[in-house]
Amino acid sequence: MTSTVINQDLFTAAVEGLPPGQLSSHRSDAAKLFSVTGFPTARDEDWKYTRLDGAADLSNDWLASLAQHSTSTEASVMLTDAQLAPTQSINADWIIVHNGIVDAAALGQLKLPTGVNVSLIGEDSEHLALTTDSPMSAFNAALLTDGLRVRVANNVAVKKPLGFLMVDDDRSRVTQIRVVLELGDNAALRVVECALSSGVGPTFTNSVTQLQLAEGSKLDFLRLQNHALDHISTNRFVANIDKDATFTHNNFDFGGDLTRNDIVAIIEGAGASVNLAGLYLASGAQHIDNHTRVEHRVGPAVSHEEYRGILNGKSRCVFNGQAVVFEGADGTDANQANHNLLLSDQAEIDTKPELEIYADDVKCSHGATVGQLDETALFYLRSRGLDTTEARRLLTQAFAANILNLLAIDEAREYVKLQLDERVASLLGDERT
Amino acid sequence: MKTTLEVKNLHAGIGATKILNGLDLVVNAGEVHAIMGPNGSGKSTLAQVIAGHADYEVLDGSVRFNGEDLLELEPEERAREGVFLGFQYPVEIPGVNNAYLLKAAVNAKRRHLGLDEIDAFEFLKLAREKMATLGMDPIFLNRGVNEGFSGGEKKRNEILQMAMLEPRLAILDETDSGLDIDALKTVAAGINELRDPTRAIVLVTHYQRLLDYVEPDFVHVLSAGKIVRSGDKSLALELEKNGYEWVKEAVNA
Ligand SMILES: Nc1ncnc2c1ncn2[C@@H]1O[C@H](COP(=O)(O)OP(=O)(O)OP(=O)(O)O)[C@@H](O)[C@H]1O
Ligand SMILES: [Mg+2]
Repeated sequence: MTSTVINQDLFTAAVEGLPPGQLSSHRSDAAKLFSVTGFPTARDEDWKYTRLDGAADLSNDWLASLAQHSTSTEASVMLTDAQLAPTQSINADWIIVHNGIVDAAALGQLKLPTGVNVSLIGEDSEHLALTTDSPMSAFNAALLTDGLRVRVANNVAVKKPLGFLMVDDDRSRVTQIRVVLELGDNAALRVVECALSSGVGPTFTNSVTQLQLAEGSKLDFLRLQNHALDHISTNRFVANIDKDATFTHNNFDFGGDLTRNDIVAIIEGAGASVNLAGLYLASGAQHIDNHTRVEHRVGPAVSHEEYRGILNGKSRCVFNGQAVVFEGADGTDANQANHNLLLSDQAEIDTKPELEIYADDVKCSHGATVGQLDETALFYLRSRGLDTTEARRLLTQAFAANILNLLAIDEAREYVKLQLDERVASLLGDERT
Repeated sequence: MKTTLEVKNLHAGIGATKILNGLDLVVNAGEVHAIMGPNGSGKSTLAQVIAGHADYEVLDGSVRFNGEDLLELEPEERAREGVFLGFQYPVEIPGVNNAYLLKAAVNAKRRHLGLDEIDAFEFLKLAREKMATLGMDPIFLNRGVNEGFSGGEKKRNEILQMAMLEPRLAILDETDSGLDIDALKTVAAGINELRDPTRAIVLVTHYQRLLDYVEPDFVHVLSAGKIVRSGDKSLALELEKNGYEWVKEAVNA
């Protein structure tokens, strides 16, 4: 029988068995919270379409091995060239996190610009609040052993992007990754995160990314998820955005068996601006669920959001876009769009915009579409000699280009485009499954 | 003389609607034919059937191209064999680069003919040359296919594609409509440029204007899915003067 129940005894034993240190108190606080909720189930409205049975099974096995201290906490195997490809293709200061363990030696070698400080969470979390705002983020904090904390000092604009390469390829581990980014007043940072896994068997990653944007700061965050087709991941991004700060999140999901992203942008200062753009490509039996939530706590502030999905085979995707405009958040301008290209009649998309508006002077709009490739355009291309495969590929790429064009980090554009083109080709090949 | 296109007793429709009702048409290499006829008579349907649009069902009859059964071929195969349709309503395809399509089209044909692909430099040189003669700014190469093009610009873009592809059979469906006087002249020049003894051209038009610049060898009137009258270029002048009613009456009589 499958179930999303985490074995409480194993959980407690595992938490208690982790090596003591600065994280201990964070872990026990979070464990208390998690013990109350457990994993989300289908009864939770937010998790109606996404079941975590597989993740729970893997987690229980892992907790058992942790409880018996039989899990290694060292990144053992070297990364392959294929896994390292993003670091070769995108010019950035790369930090590698292998099976949830930061490559500290390499990090020590990295020459970071003045004003940028990167530390290990295990050694630098005394005065740090670890977000535990959801069952999965509490689960993450309760079992955390490692992670990254990045601080950018006031008025420092970092030129070169920072890169995070997250590779998960250890079948016996469930990884908990936590990244905390703190941008000082008027600081600017660009981050490229590539999340990969290797198809060694089912694996599960539960990641939390906390983003703190102080007044006038600017953060461009690109995440490219290209997990193997047996990988499950739940990823939570929470950004607190202060006055006049700008947050851009570009989210590309190409791989994974089951992927759930929760992207939460909390506008806490007037003049803030939030741009969320995402593209999900699913085929075969893939499942990709994006839940986004923009909280306009004060106004005036702007949020733009566009997510696009391309679905083939028997894949299933979910888009849920919440925009909440709090009382008094006048001058809010929030728009949201979700467009889907459904290439197979067995693929399924559930798309739902949710607007909650408690202020008067607001401009809000949302729209969702689900469609097929334009037959007229297909015929036009074929009438010029292009075969059906190429015509479909061009139209599919054109649909995706709208999101690619929103990519804020130029250094990553070529790599993302290559990955995208490859993924489009493989997805279209899946047509008749 | 070599027959390029031979349409025999063509019946075609869409769903339950019959549009073409026993249409016959023979176009030889080197000839220019004009097809005129009232709105809704089936001119575009004929053009789309020849290009291979799958929405139109051929119920009876045959279409041969250089002796080959055209209806057996996929639209892209027809294109590579040298059939070109200039669309009455060219399709806007945002996100697909105009130059990319043009080059892909040229290369699809070249591969089909067993030739090497055109190199990027050659391609650009050729495209720029053709655009210059059509009075098109090279900037149009960088735009999405017909994306945001004005009506006249779209028609020029069709002619550009034709010029690059050098088809054996060009069917131009109302390529003259929506063109200003100067554009009409340049487009006509583009068509005349292609006129040669090995090539057949079919102009679907409502106006004598175009035929002043591209003189047809034959003019046909299509009405209710059939060619009801054929003649030389003077037929077009007669139609311009008297409308279609007298042709229809003559048929019914
Ligand atoms: N996709 C379609 N669905 C339904 N009816 C169609 C379709 N295409 C064509 N028809 C019908 O077939 C008839 C012939 O249309 P067609 O476009 O071939 O006319 P035409 O001679 O090109 O007219 P025009 O001079 O206005 O361009 C019309 O009555 C039209 O409504
Ligand atoms: Mg027409």
